[in-house]
Amino acid sequence: MTGLAKLSHTAAMILQTVSNGCNYGFDIMDATGLPSGTVYPALRRMETEGWISSEWEPERKANAEQRPARKYYRITETGAEVLGASQQRYPLLGKLAAAKTRR
Amino acid sequence: MQTGTNPPRSVRLCNLMVGIAARLVPTNQRAEFQREWLAEIWHRWQFLAFAGFWNNREALGLFRTCLGVFPDAIWHFALQDPVREKVRSWTRSPWTCLGAFGAVLLLIAVISGGFPATRQVLLSSSASANQRLVFIWFHPNVGGPDKELPSDVPAAWRSQSKLLESVAGFHVSRLYASATGSSVHPKVIETEAALFKVLGTAPALGSIPSDQGAILTARTWKSAFHSDPEILRKEIRIGKDYYHIRAVLPSGFDFLTRQPSVFLVSGWLPERVDVVARSRPGVTEPQLDRELVRISEDAVYYFFRSQLRMSWLEDALWTPVRLFTIAVCASAFLCLWAAKVRPRQIRSACHPMNRKPAMRRALFFSSKVALALVVAFVAGLEWARSPSAILLASRDPASGPFLLWLYILAAMGIFFWAVADQRARCRVCLRLLCFPVRIGCPGCLLLDWSGTELLCTEGHGVLHVPHMSASWEEESQRWISLDESWKDLFIASE
Repeated sequence: MTGLAKLSHTAAMILQTVSNGCNYGFDIMDATGLPSGTVYPALRRMETEGWISSEWEPERKANAEQRPARKYYRITETGAEVLGASQQRYPLLGKLAAAKTRR
Repeated sequence: MQTGTNPPRSVRLCNLMVGIAARLVPTNQRAEFQREWLAEIWHRWQFLAFAGFWNNREALGLFRTCLGVFPDAIWHFALQDPVREKVRSWTRSPWTCLGAFGAVLLLIAVISGGFPATRQVLLSSSASANQRLVFIWFHPNVGGPDKELPSDVPAAWRSQSKLLESVAGFHVSRLYASATGSSVHPKVIETEAALFKVLGTAPALGSIPSDQGAILTARTWKSAFHSDPEILRKEIRIGKDYYHIRAVLPSGFDFLTRQPSVFLVSGWLPERVDVVARSRPGVTEPQLDRELVRISEDAVYYFFRSQLRMSWLEDALWTPVRLFTIAVCASAFLCLWAAKVRPRQIRSACHPMNRKPAMRRALFFSSKVALALVVAFVAGLEWARSPSAILLASRDPASGPFLLWLYILAAMGIFFWAVADQRARCRVCLRLLCFPVRIGCPGCLLLDWSGTELLCTEGHGVLHVPHMSASWEEESQRWISLDESWKDLFIASE
């Protein structure tokens, strides 16, 4: 685990939430209770580091439902490793994020 | 879904914010940035509207959430290479160093409310009202904290002393004071009416009560009572009791660095008090000490000679300036000695070829040191009184012993930091050097040179810093100037 980056608790919580299936910005904000000014820059940074990847939903599907397409975030393999290390550092993280996501 | 309906004003406002923030985002990422935020806003609004939960509270919540678009845009903006390069170059600039001290000074001015203690020391130390004012307190002979005097003692001094014109006792207490609808800073001075005669202060509003009443400082009158002209008819609660407000002091009045909010005049003094008195002209400390001890002994209070401490205000106000000057001179001497400034270096700096850059370096060094010293001096005067009183139980009227230690440490720190910072800068443009590269092997010191090389980004030169300095070397660091022939290399790298 020595080669992996050490995440702050906030960043680890966001990564955990993405891993739990919250895959767009406002959903992550609701699950973590963090403000958008924290969540979005953190998502950008994680994407730059390669811990999460983003993908626009198919335009065709969104058009069919007469709504704008959304950008979805997904955890990558590297991100999962970093998250694993963070869960050892913050043992309650998995439980907390799971509870918030369920709510 | 309600795609066709017009979005409400709050949603349009959010969209507008996204549009404004997007101006900060680099052009190639702007469309995607805007698209993501607008889609999120649309979905949130539509979800709440569809569920029937869309109301003013939710609209405000969405607006608050959308404020995050600005940090997000700034993140995109700051990540651009030209911006990062500019920030890096800005942090290395000598102007940033000087500007940072200016900003700290401004911050101190804002927090302290315009340097009240500094103004008092520098402007009012020669005022006629402060002449011959002496503060007297009690110090245990075998060490320990300063103490107040028994309250009978000032009364005895007042009636019998031939060397004092007037005497008053006071006690600083932290009682909670409140008036109708406004609470006041809880620093109250319990005193007697004679205090204002001793200080030579007349109230700006009302009159000093001879029996009982509260006297407000101008600052308290302004902040807690909004300069109410009907203030003299009001009451203020101090501790558990209510008192009539009888006077407001003039705005220029300062009771040293203690800055009380309310003076409470009552018929009796607390059991222990500090004493402030005005001496007759030409009275010396030994004369006064002899007389006051004799009067106290007559009143059955036996002090040893060293137990009374006196401080003349004019003298006490200049003490911080004297302490600071001594601390600065001692630190400057120590620093120059430790920095090993050689006559050869001074001769080299005075050479006509080097004179201009040497002058610029000297000017930057002295400006940096002067600004840092001003910051330390002002911060010490503004805030050292409380630690002296709280940590060291000092009753010194102006500064206290904490200030001495603060000034010594600050002056030493500033000089040593200034020399280290000067050495880490380019000798020509004064920017901080960067790109450190380790060269050589420390184990081969006898055979080869090992150390770190730092480079000026403008291509003015390279600084060699050895890992170990040898005793035969005069200078541990070596600056190598790069001539015009190197210029192309730096332009190409930019």
